[in-house]
Amino acid sequence: MNTASKRLGRIVQNGLLVIYAIFALFPLIWMLILSVKSDAEIYTTTFIFSPTLDNYRIVLFESDYVRYMIDSLIVSGGAVIVSVIAGVPAAYALARYNFKKKEDIAFQILSFKFAPEILVVLPLFMIFQKLHIYDSYFGLIWVYQLISMPLLIWVVRGYFEDISVEIEYAAQVDGYNWYQIFFKNLIPLIKPGLVSAALLAFIFAWNSFTFPLMLAGTKIQPITVAITKFLGTDSAHYGQLAVAATVSALPAIIFALCIQKHLVRGLSFGAVKG
Amino acid sequence: MARIQLENVTKKFGKVTALDGISLDIKDKEFFVLFGPAGAGKTTILNCIAGIQLPEEGVVKFDGEIVNLVDAAHRDTAMVFENYALYPQMTVYDNMASPLRSKLYKKDEDYIKNKIHEVAAMMKMENLLERLPSQLSNGQKQRVAMGRALVRSPRVYLMDEPLAHLDAKLRNAMRTELKEIQANFGTTSIYVTHDFMEAMSLGDRIAIINEGKVVQLGTGDAIYYMPCNEFVAQLMGDPEINLISGTLAKSGDSCTFTMDAGGKVYDLPKEKDLFAKLDELGASKVDLGMRPQNLTYSFEPKEGYIKCTVYSYESIGNKSVIVAELSGLQLRMIAPNGLKVKIDQDVYVDMQLDHAMFFDAETKNYLTRYNEAAIKAFAEKQEG
Repeated sequence: MNTASKRLGRIVQNGLLVIYAIFALFPLIWMLILSVKSDAEIYTTTFIFSPTLDNYRIVLFESDYVRYMIDSLIVSGGAVIVSVIAGVPAAYALARYNFKKKEDIAFQILSFKFAPEILVVLPLFMIFQKLHIYDSYFGLIWVYQLISMPLLIWVVRGYFEDISVEIEYAAQVDGYNWYQIFFKNLIPLIKPGLVSAALLAFIFAWNSFTFPLMLAGTKIQPITVAITKFLGTDSAHYGQLAVAATVSALPAIIFALCIQKHLVRGLSFGAVKG
Repeated sequence: MARIQLENVTKKFGKVTALDGISLDIKDKEFFVLFGPAGAGKTTILNCIAGIQLPEEGVVKFDGEIVNLVDAAHRDTAMVFENYALYPQMTVYDNMASPLRSKLYKKDEDYIKNKIHEVAAMMKMENLLERLPSQLSNGQKQRVAMGRALVRSPRVYLMDEPLAHLDAKLRNAMRTELKEIQANFGTTSIYVTHDFMEAMSLGDRIAIINEGKVVQLGTGDAIYYMPCNEFVAQLMGDPEINLISGTLAKSGDSCTFTMDAGGKVYDLPKEKDLFAKLDELGASKVDLGMRPQNLTYSFEPKEGYIKCTVYSYESIGNKSVIVAELSGLQLRMIAPNGLKVKIDQDVYVDMQLDHAMFFDAETKNYLTRYNEAAIKAFAEKQEG
């Protein structure tokens, strides 16, 4: 009786998981299928079609797709690098030092993420025009800080807080100066958090659409904006669109797989205080 | 190797005053113990000496030189932290090598290797060198923290309860070892503890710290036999001292003590100096301090013994402690092991009054004791 009900429970559990997996993965699978279909077969819903790589050829070799990819890499990567350089010291200060309005400042940084992008993009557009940074790498990297910086600061701050301050004291007594302590002792300890936060920041920056759509778009076109080009006014090339979307998902996936080891450990290290 | 002086050091954390005008003069090559209850400010004193925390007022001197503005790295101290503060990402070996690899105290790798193996052998942890701190037990971590300090030859060792998490056997061994190391190296050592045994056995001198102040300073024996108030008397000694409140009365050239609990009247043994001093201080309401070993007991009624009931009986290995109760007053006594004692049975207690200390019942301060002159002379001789 008991084992039977246990088995039933397991079947239900796994059944639900399978349903969820289909639900979550089907769009991706459908996208992959679309990318190897010709325009003529694009609307067939059966799985019978003659696969072709024409879409890939057109997108990768006959359009500016690679240039858009590079644009995306520059602005997203640049945004993450700036966030790390400025955000890690900021997180350290918020974790270690006591100063007036500390929590207010921390909350203020987080609050940048509260407003929907579409809400702030219009005033930003006007500011960018005045400062002549519209449609530039610098402008996009700057505005992406709204996306990546709060996330990085809050995650890394938690990691710094988990490190007992006596470790820094011990290193001081051992004869190290502050910079040596920071790079030799603290950075290795926050590395898992730093890596996972940087990865998330990169993905968010990569996927950002509203900011590059409004604040760039002619000279610099990140991939999210450029994809819309494959939706013509008269005809929609869904096959090419699928190729563009598939390929644009690759960097984040490759990136995540490379640092998966840190990612898994990172997400549990901060939670459990040793 | 240094003489460490603190002059009127005050340290505040926000509105809380952690140290309140601490002045200490720790001699070169001295083993100095800071002893006191939790939260007394002992660790803060160490931090101020190490340069981790800066006092708001007062100066810290090393060999007569003010070091308030010298940062922790340049003070040339070695510190053992209470929570170990090991570097989690480094192996035990690298943790211990860390002070010898810093720019300031750089040594070559051969020297480091020899030194670490030497210290590890002393600490009985050669088998742990390749492990990470997360793979160690608390006692092992504590030994690594000690080892990290001992590989260096600093001007002063600062140790914050370095033996607290070791098991009893290892703790005793390490205590002996520490005393030995200190005697050999002759390095000034400042040692924080809340363990009475450690304080007594290790310290050349002991400073009793409470609420950010130095309450009493002296050799272990001096403090044990002449505590400056009831707080210190209770802190020094295990089992705790018995404090018996009562009234002194003078009749002719003799003196009587009437116990509050039970109302028994004792004739105090004659000692001219003592009676003169009590007379001079005009003491009438006093607390009598009696160490547990100076109480005698009997399970049969005896002449002059007061009847009490047994409150508890604890065996602590080589001896046991009987706690007797007399109308609310608890009396602790040392007894041999293996007695058959039932809770609530009758026990008869007497006091060896010629070992008594007298405290003012109101201010709780030390007044005098039997044999005061002899003990004072002994203490002075000890301090050298």
